Amino acid sequence: MKRIKTDVVVIGAGPGGYAAAFFAADEGKEVILIEKDKLGGVCLNRGCIPSKALIHTTELILEAKESSEKGVSFSNPKIDLKKLRAWKNEIISKLSGGVAQLAKARKVKVIEGRAIFDTAKSLRVETDKKQVMIDFDDVIIATGSKPNIPAVFDLGNKRIMTSTEALELEDIPKKLMVIGGGYIGMELGLVYAGLGSEIVMVEAMKDILMGADRDLVRPVKRKAQNLFKELRLDTKVKSLATKGKFVEVKCISPDGKTKTEKYDKVLVSIGRTPNVNDLGLKDIGIEQDEKGFIKINHKCETNIANVYAIGDVAGGILLAHKASKEARIAVETILGHNVSSEKCIIPAVVFTSPEVAWAGITETEAKENGISVKVAKFPWAASGRAKTLGADNGLTKLIVEKETDRVLGVGIVGKGAGELISEGTLAIEMGATAKDLAEIVHPHPTLSETIMECAESLYGVATHTISKRQ
Amino acid sequence: MDIKLPFLGDGIDSATVLSLLLSPGDTVEKDQSIMELETDKAVAPVPSPAAGKIADIKVKAGDIVSTGMLVATLEGGGSKSSPKVDTKESSPVDSAPIQSAVAAPVSQAPQGAANYQFVSPSGQAPPASPSVRKMALDLGLDLARVQGTGNGTRITLDDVRGYMSFLQTSAFSSPAQSVGQSMQVEQAKGPKPLDIDFTKWGSVTVEKVSSMRKKISEKMTEAWQTVPHVTQQDEANIEHAMALRKKYKAKYEKKNAGLTITGISLKAIVTALKAFPNFNSSFDAATGNLITKNYYNIGVAVDTEYGLIVPVIKDVDKKSVFQLSVELGEIAQKARDRKLGINDLQGGTFTLSNLGGLGVSYFTPIINTPEVAILGMGRGKDATSLPLCLSYDHRVIDGADGARFIKTFIQALESFPERDIKI
Repeated sequence: MKRIKTDVVVIGAGPGGYAAAFFAADEGKEVILIEKDKLGGVCLNRGCIPSKALIHTTELILEAKESSEKGVSFSNPKIDLKKLRAWKNEIISKLSGGVAQLAKARKVKVIEGRAIFDTAKSLRVETDKKQVMIDFDDVIIATGSKPNIPAVFDLGNKRIMTSTEALELEDIPKKLMVIGGGYIGMELGLVYAGLGSEIVMVEAMKDILMGADRDLVRPVKRKAQNLFKELRLDTKVKSLATKGKFVEVKCISPDGKTKTEKYDKVLVSIGRTPNVNDLGLKDIGIEQDEKGFIKINHKCETNIANVYAIGDVAGGILLAHKASKEARIAVETILGHNVSSEKCIIPAVVFTSPEVAWAGITETEAKENGISVKVAKFPWAASGRAKTLGADNGLTKLIVEKETDRVLGVGIVGKGAGELISEGTLAIEMGATAKDLAEIVHPHPTLSETIMECAESLYGVATHTISKRQ
Repeated sequence: MDIKLPFLGDGIDSATVLSLLLSPGDTVEKDQSIMELETDKAVAPVPSPAAGKIADIKVKAGDIVSTGMLVATLEGGGSKSSPKVDTKESSPVDSAPIQSAVAAPVSQAPQGAANYQFVSPSGQAPPASPSVRKMALDLGLDLARVQGTGNGTRITLDDVRGYMSFLQTSAFSSPAQSVGQSMQVEQAKGPKPLDIDFTKWGSVTVEKVSSMRKKISEKMTEAWQTVPHVTQQDEANIEHAMALRKKYKAKYEKKNAGLTITGISLKAIVTALKAFPNFNSSFDAATGNLITKNYYNIGVAVDTEYGLIVPVIKDVDKKSVFQLSVELGEIAQKARDRKLGINDLQGGTFTLSNLGGLGVSYFTPIINTPEVAILGMGRGKDATSLPLCLSYDHRVIDGADGARFIKTFIQALESFPERDIKI
């Protein structure tokens, strides 16, 4: 067996892993990047990127429909699924190829295969043809996560999908049940609704998108109720069963009654589970939590010196940009810099229609933790730009420290919220006050003005709304 | 809300968590102790800044913690439960009992820089951009001590630069530095490990001493090595003092105070100190300055199960024997309950150590530097005699002065005015 020696090994080439490998290489380390599937990880191949491609397409369909109000009518869209799929796959392969090129340019050695720890200082990679033994100084585990599917739902039936299969876009089912109203269920539910599926969504909790403030979720919920056939809250799925070309679903509604229905397909989107199996983690004694996520500290260190974990596999918020940030932290720790992930603001974006985004603390969190804050809200109905975009269902809100007006949280729902939130993140990270946001000139007419006006409303001087001085 | 470790006192960077008094899920009152810390100088409780429920405790017994570190989180706390009028009062920083007693070490410091401490009503870190925070983390700089000049008191890169240069200036011009210089040199070298295998002669037990024991050992070594000690012994007749004690003891006890020879002696010491101000001084060998104090704070050595502690009774000259007796009782209780704060242990000018209770007659006390003298008291051969052992720093005090001082003290004790004891 071939045996090689390197400075740093990164396992997993998702947005955490490749970022870590590239950064370590840029800092002069010799790096080997191991990926058992495709470069780019879930984000690029089965997550963020394909979902956003499809969301953009369905937004177009929805907007075309809605434009009849403006006096512009289109005939019903014809959807060439094969072509749509090909377009999506082309984006993926281009980006994935880009990652490969960037690796090559940095002399990061990419090995396609499965990594299995031998000791905390060495591992084995099983590739199609051979095995390679690698000795290293440091290793970063960035193996990510996969959709969680409970055994009772996992019938081996292709009509029962997770996000991975749903993004393959094999067909447009006539009747689709979406189990779980989290961000993945909402995003994909809206995609399929836009493409013409009849959606019934079932959520066990009393509302959808539970991490966000309720006032930010409301426009999304309204839209979903409009586009979906049904949105059932407080409802549990008891069982799934294969019935010929259909899947039979038994739901328990809030009143305790069981309802039995048939669907063409079912999408299970009830969370994600870490990719920790077959890595030999237990053999080298890496500590994991009860759900299997690897335990790390604020420097992304595991309980074993020189073994780091980042991104989804290390738990916390399962978002690509959190993984990329941790990639920086892990590598800097390896380089001996003093770094910490504490106090780092991780913005969250849900690419629904409209989009929801927030950064820092939410109003709900402030209440729950007894932090005394002031909350300012600016409804987009008062924004000229929102009106012209047909996007006046949005809302911008600021959560500021009561005594100092320091911005602690920003929440936005509305078109392009995902792009707008970065100003909020910047404000929080820079320790800005609402006064700062109010004083900064924002270009007109843009949606970004809603942030400035929201801050102004705190002082009772917003131009386009009447607000009390707080 | 986050509970962070408050400023522990000047010169104290870290402490060891001794014990956790509460667990997650416990309800807590404002100012109730969450945990006990052992610092170099004392055992100090960490009080809760607000009422609420302990959500999480981030440390465990034995952990080393430092100022500003997140030690616990509180549910339902925050500014709601703390009075709004004065957020500074209720902040985690200021409500801690262990506050610095010493003022800024240098006069040329930017105004207030040495004592500045950021306080956020909702438990946030000081406002600073990510790049500034990163630099501070890398330098090990606590941004909560840097006064921000940007909008909303944001800390700019310039503020950090200014603070760094302030730290540098104060590090090289602090008078405290020269007093303790030799000690620092000694500490820098560190003691040599004991290279003897004791197990050759039988079984042994090895255990780590507490940080308090270590501190005592360092302090005693430093005093022994830098100060040329002279110990002088004498005896006082305490027939008169004992008669007064007998007469007023019951009255004192009715008011929950114990009248002791120690209490009476504190006043007699002040009489002697006033007559010989040299004994109430500190000597800065580096500058050749003798710093004589115009206040009379007397440390009283207390034996506790955790080791020797010397709480300081302030302004002894301004207090009556009764007041002093009450305070002696209080500090003894506090010492037993491990509740002495840094304030209780700093600022002494002279020390009294009474080993009479343990049956010792004469001993040679070691000076509690940077003080220059210590008076030891023991048990006499009969009820009327009080053995005295006065140790003094021969760099400052000569033998004849020592003799005069002790005679003055004896005189003051033997003719102690009844009116000073009367209540």
